[in-house]
Amino acid sequence: MTTLFINDQEVSVPANTSILEACRQHDVDVPYFCYHPELKVAANCRMCLVEIEMNGKRLPNPVASCCTPVNEGMKVRTQTDMLKKDRKMIMEYLLIHHPLDCPVCDQGGDCKLQDYTMEHSTSHGRYLEPKRRTEDKNLGPFVSTCMTRCIHCTRCVRFAEEVSGTGDMGVLNRGDHMRIDSIVEGCLSSELSGNLAELCPVGALLDKPSNNQSRPWELTRHHSTCTQCPQGCDIIIESRDDEVIRIKHDPNGAEAWICDRGRFVYDAFRSNDRLLSPRIAGNDTDWATAIKKSVGILKGKRVGIIFSPFWSVEGLTAIRLMHDAVMHDAQVAFDLHRRDIRAFAFEEGMAMSSAAIEAADEVVILGSDLRQRLPMLMQRLRRRVNKGQTLTRIGAMNYRTNTKLNKDALIRPRDWPAVIASAMQQLMGINKGATGMEAWLKNITDRHEAGKLLADALLADSCALLVGEEIRAHDDAAALIHGIDLLMRATGHGEAGSDGRNLIPEGMNASVLSAVFGDVRVSAGDLLQAAERGELDALMLIGSDPLGDGLFPMEARRVLGKIPLVQVGAIAGEIAKFADVQLPAASYAEVDGTFINMEGVVRMADKPLRSLGEERPLWKVMMRLTDAMGASKTPVVSLPELRTEATRFLPSLADVFAGKIDANWRMPVARNKHATVLPVNVRPVMALDIVSRFSLYREGAWARASALLCEAGKLFCMADVLVHPQTLKDLGLDEGACVIRTASGEYTHHIGVRDDVAQGVLFIAKRGAAGDLSSESVANMRRV
Amino acid sequence: MISSDPSKVTAICFDRINIPNMHILDVAKKYGAYAFLPTVLQEMDGPKIISEVKTSGLRGRGGAGFPTGLKWSFVPRNTNKPTYLLCNADEGEPGTFKDRDLLRLDPHLLIEGMIMAGFALNVRDAYIYIRGEFLHEANVINAAIAEAYAAGLLGERILGTNYSLDLTVHRGAGAYICGEETALIESLEGRAGRPRFKPPFPAVEGFYQSPTVVNNVESLTTIPAILEHGGNWHSQIGVPNSTGMKIFSVSGHVNKPGNYEVPMGMPLHVLIEEYCGGLQHGDVPKVIIPGGSSTPWLGPEHYDVPMAYDELHKAGSMLGSGAVIIMDETADVVAITRRLSHFYAHESCGQCTPCREGTGWLERVMLRLEAGRCNAQDLVVLEEASRHMDGRTICALAAGAAAPILSLLKMFPDEVRSYLTESKVGGG
Amino acid sequence: MSTTVDTTQMSAVAFSAQQQEDIRALVTRYPQPLSALLPVLHMAQQHFGYLPMNVQQLVADTLNVTLMQVREVVTFYTMFKEQPTGTYLMEVCTNVSCMLNGAVELLDHMCNTLGIQPGETTPDGLFTLAEVECAGACGSAPVVQVNNIYHEKVTAETMDALITNIQTGAETGGVA
Ligand SMILES: Cc1cc2nc3c(=O)[nH]c(=O)nc-3n(C[C@H](O)[C@H](O)[C@H](O)COP(=O)(O)O)c2cc1C
Ligand code: SF4
Ligand code: FES
Repeated sequence: MTTLFINDQEVSVPANTSILEACRQHDVDVPYFCYHPELKVAANCRMCLVEIEMNGKRLPNPVASCCTPVNEGMKVRTQTDMLKKDRKMIMEYLLIHHPLDCPVCDQGGDCKLQDYTMEHSTSHGRYLEPKRRTEDKNLGPFVSTCMTRCIHCTRCVRFAEEVSGTGDMGVLNRGDHMRIDSIVEGCLSSELSGNLAELCPVGALLDKPSNNQSRPWELTRHHSTCTQCPQGCDIIIESRDDEVIRIKHDPNGAEAWICDRGRFVYDAFRSNDRLLSPRIAGNDTDWATAIKKSVGILKGKRVGIIFSPFWSVEGLTAIRLMHDAVMHDAQVAFDLHRRDIRAFAFEEGMAMSSAAIEAADEVVILGSDLRQRLPMLMQRLRRRVNKGQTLTRIGAMNYRTNTKLNKDALIRPRDWPAVIASAMQQLMGINKGATGMEAWLKNITDRHEAGKLLADALLADSCALLVGEEIRAHDDAAALIHGIDLLMRATGHGEAGSDGRNLIPEGMNASVLSAVFGDVRVSAGDLLQAAERGELDALMLIGSDPLGDGLFPMEARRVLGKIPLVQVGAIAGEIAKFADVQLPAASYAEVDGTFINMEGVVRMADKPLRSLGEERPLWKVMMRLTDAMGASKTPVVSLPELRTEATRFLPSLADVFAGKIDANWRMPVARNKHATVLPVNVRPVMALDIVSRFSLYREGAWARASALLCEAGKLFCMADVLVHPQTLKDLGLDEGACVIRTASGEYTHHIGVRDDVAQGVLFIAKRGAAGDLSSESVANMRRV
Repeated sequence: MISSDPSKVTAICFDRINIPNMHILDVAKKYGAYAFLPTVLQEMDGPKIISEVKTSGLRGRGGAGFPTGLKWSFVPRNTNKPTYLLCNADEGEPGTFKDRDLLRLDPHLLIEGMIMAGFALNVRDAYIYIRGEFLHEANVINAAIAEAYAAGLLGERILGTNYSLDLTVHRGAGAYICGEETALIESLEGRAGRPRFKPPFPAVEGFYQSPTVVNNVESLTTIPAILEHGGNWHSQIGVPNSTGMKIFSVSGHVNKPGNYEVPMGMPLHVLIEEYCGGLQHGDVPKVIIPGGSSTPWLGPEHYDVPMAYDELHKAGSMLGSGAVIIMDETADVVAITRRLSHFYAHESCGQCTPCREGTGWLERVMLRLEAGRCNAQDLVVLEEASRHMDGRTICALAAGAAAPILSLLKMFPDEVRSYLTESKVGGG
Repeated sequence: MSTTVDTTQMSAVAFSAQQQEDIRALVTRYPQPLSALLPVLHMAQQHFGYLPMNVQQLVADTLNVTLMQVREVVTFYTMFKEQPTGTYLMEVCTNVSCMLNGAVELLDHMCNTLGIQPGETTPDGLFTLAEVECAGACGSAPVVQVNNIYHEKVTAETMDALITNIQTGAETGGVA
């Protein structure tokens, strides 16, 4: 620690802290533009000047506090006559070329330049010469530019280099011809682009969709949790009255940014796809009629329920309560991305915090498009690589990470057993086996060299495995995960303290899902097949869209429209066409709810938005239905009661609801130590493995209801189906239309080539076009 | 030959400069090049060399005048990172043209100096960053390096010793700012030459985050003589605190402009009258810029100032790079200042607000002043903006931009006033 | 002028096998390949005459860096040209020492002789005239660089002779 004096007040900060950080940490106001705690220091705006005195000597000139480290005994002054003059002068320089257009600028009211002008500047500038000319850029659907307002702080350039990793912003020219420029016409190729508008301290980069919609002072801010991915970032929803104007990152949240999916999904709130009133056969009706109709469909019937994992803890508990009270025979499924429903040796969720993963000695991504799946975690990994740490990936596609991978292996999903087997063999060779390995290896004779990458990484002191969708969705997923569990135990990464087992879940509240539904869940695919076979009489979809998402679109297509359907949710979507009754449930922004993210971090949303229509919180809908179905007693009638019920499934929630946990508390990931599933040695009869892409712009009913995300999805799409050029060659085929044959039939698709895809893999890049193929895991291909 | 008697030394860097074909290795060797190198490599070591250089009192000849031995001693040892030696041959400071002669006429002296410095600092890779315009000079030094490699003076195991050094010439591409040592490093890393803030200092974290020493050509070409004759010998040349010889690049209104290597501390008028053939017009200069265009101007009252660090500082200016620009009574000081403002506006790297916006602003006001469209209020702007640019930016370019304007306003208020318009409106 | 790049509109250019070999050798001189950017750009400009976007893309691909990194560098350094220049680039230093020794008058004279202003190229494409910063040869002011060959203590007469020689083909002024 270093002790210094800031305006005569003695403070202590860690050695090498910058003076500016020391001031910030002690609430001493020092103005600045270019500094950003998450970005490398640039020290170019020169606004953060302070005066210092060292060893009793006052330095003749002020220093930039952002790039000057503290020193023992240093005396810092932040308010002196000299600094007043300096700040005035810097403001004058910055305003030389800046237009006087605050009244029409969206940044107005939330602008550093404007604020500092009031605080540090004089009312008029003395610059009389011609102003600089600038050129605006088309930065795609999310960011608009007004470069006359740019103050050259280079935050955006540093962001593109360090955070998004795209490097598509830069500084051209020099002197006062210097300008910020982008390289691509049309779009910033980043899933984090929306942050640029927040990052820009002035109105040069603005949020395009909300541009000219409002002024900051008209808005109400609601703290909430984004449920668009398992990360569950803290967000601020800004609304005018009850209309969502935009979503921003929460400066007090755990992550420094939010992704474009979480941010721009906001237009789905007021889209036509919102389900805002009860409907029967597509026509608005009142609640009583709709409930009655639902009861008619469901009561005494063999029902299948598929719900989305993104509901709050309260919503999910209410589904279970309804199930137990009035539908205990119903089949329940929630995961559209898992074929193998046997217990996994470690449950979904992250044993490590994002920060711990970022800091681990080794990180291995196993079969995941992390940039699309968990943009925030990917961003942390990028930062890790920038610091010179390693990153390894094994998977079916060279998914763009916008960072440098140290080790990378392209494999087919069918190679996973061989990869794990060779890692086991390598470890056993150096006496690092674990009981169970011999049995696991018995059936697997193939070995894959990518196993070495895995084994080598496991030998590090700390190793984070990020097990992704390619493994989760595998036909033999439980066996693969057991195998990985053995590897982790063998290398000492299987226990609390050094646990590196992170299974990327499909939704928020993963730990809640396994606790609340572990004993009753079935596979969504099996459920839909049962319906097709006539073993179910009715379906209930609660926020779930099996047509648009997941691995069973074909099964869903064969069933929907042929079976009575009750839809409950906030977004109507494509499912609406098939629903006999629709019951509106409030969205994540409109409820008091508890959310537990993949790391086990608990967030409670309060101060919700008021409902737009007649929708009700899911738990109320469930209880009303339960009542109407003839329950002897309504399970719960209030939120506190509901929460008490939730603690039955998850006892640790009691402390959460009682407010007895501290900020660092995380719900641990459940373990199934006895889930010893051995791999089966099946050799697929078909030549190609199907892997389907998860696009953050397209996946999920909310994203599909967002015109903004849909537009971005179009901009960032690839060919419908991709294969490696060698794969085509091996099959004697050419690029273009081909027939894909699966167990369920033949489909003609346009095939693109890309050497990013593992050989022998059929990569479904555009699910909108080729989504049905996702239902299968293997295929053959031939000429049209 | 350089005399081992300090009082008899007439030249150090320029000792062989007038001998024809000195850039050819055989010729250079005949006149003593590399003769002392084996002794250095075999009988000296890093600490000993650094201590000699410290004793010599040598101060960097690139402009800042930082003691060379002290700079070398800041390089951390055993960091398990390589140490780099970069020769600053960017020579961009207006008025400076000494390094060019050293590069094209006696390149082996620089190579020898770099081998010795590299050996002292345990450097494996060294670079000469030469301004892009010096194409001929780059070709000459490249040819000399090729000869040196062939003769076993560079590369693996120099002269059979355990010391190995690779030397590469790297051409700039037209940017004055790349003479600033951290901008030079950025440029050598393949980026725009935008200076880095300090700390960290290059000696600790420079080229690719490794310890790095940047030295001017003239500083490095002084090293062989210091090692051969001893630091003590060098410290007796010149005056206290400004030891050794110094090449002054004299230009402007003198009859015999050129590079003159003389002992530090020589009074300016001696340099001008005895070496440069006196002024083109009149007896005393109207303006003396003693150390390159970024140094504050001196007036005729300082014509006898001793050309040494402390004395020039006392007079209100700096020794800088030793580029003496002399203006006689015919000089149009407003036009000259306007031209220099253009230089700084053109060369500002653009990152610091005061420099980016200030240099352009100053140039435009100066243009207006020259055109007779300024009023007294504009002079206040010139002065305030210039003052603010001094010492508030990442590098010293902004201070350099301020120097001519502040000098003009201070030394020639009447002349400046004569340019003002009667009208009270600003202009535009 | 729009400066954003539409990379799909760029025609393909390439380095010769020898140049590629030279670049590989160059890269080994530095701790990291990016350091070779300036030398490779010099080489590309020498070969292609100037650095249009497709050449910048070629350099980016060759060194495995982004186009933005190349553009930042090309636009920062004055010796790199994004627009073609005349066969003879005449660069007149008008900085202080040259100015004190008649550079401004010399430049005026050249404008008259060539019939163009600084920044312009003669209609026959032979000469581009430019006013530049200190060339580092102030002791022999005024200084004019012709394709980076220094001409020192230039007078109106010696300049006229040089121009005539170039026009009549008697002088190649550094052009191979
Ligand atoms: C704007 C600016 C331009 C500079 N240009 C040069 C230059 O052209 N040549 C040079 O040797 N030093 C130049 N310097 C000084 C260098 O930053 C550095 O101090 C010097 O190269 C160190 O070498 P020395 O200690 O041997 O003098 C410049 C400094 C500044 C601020
Ligand atoms: S002072 Fe000027 S030249 Fe120096 S770093 Fe700042 S902007 Fe660049
Ligand atoms: S915040 Fe320190 S210079 Fe910008």
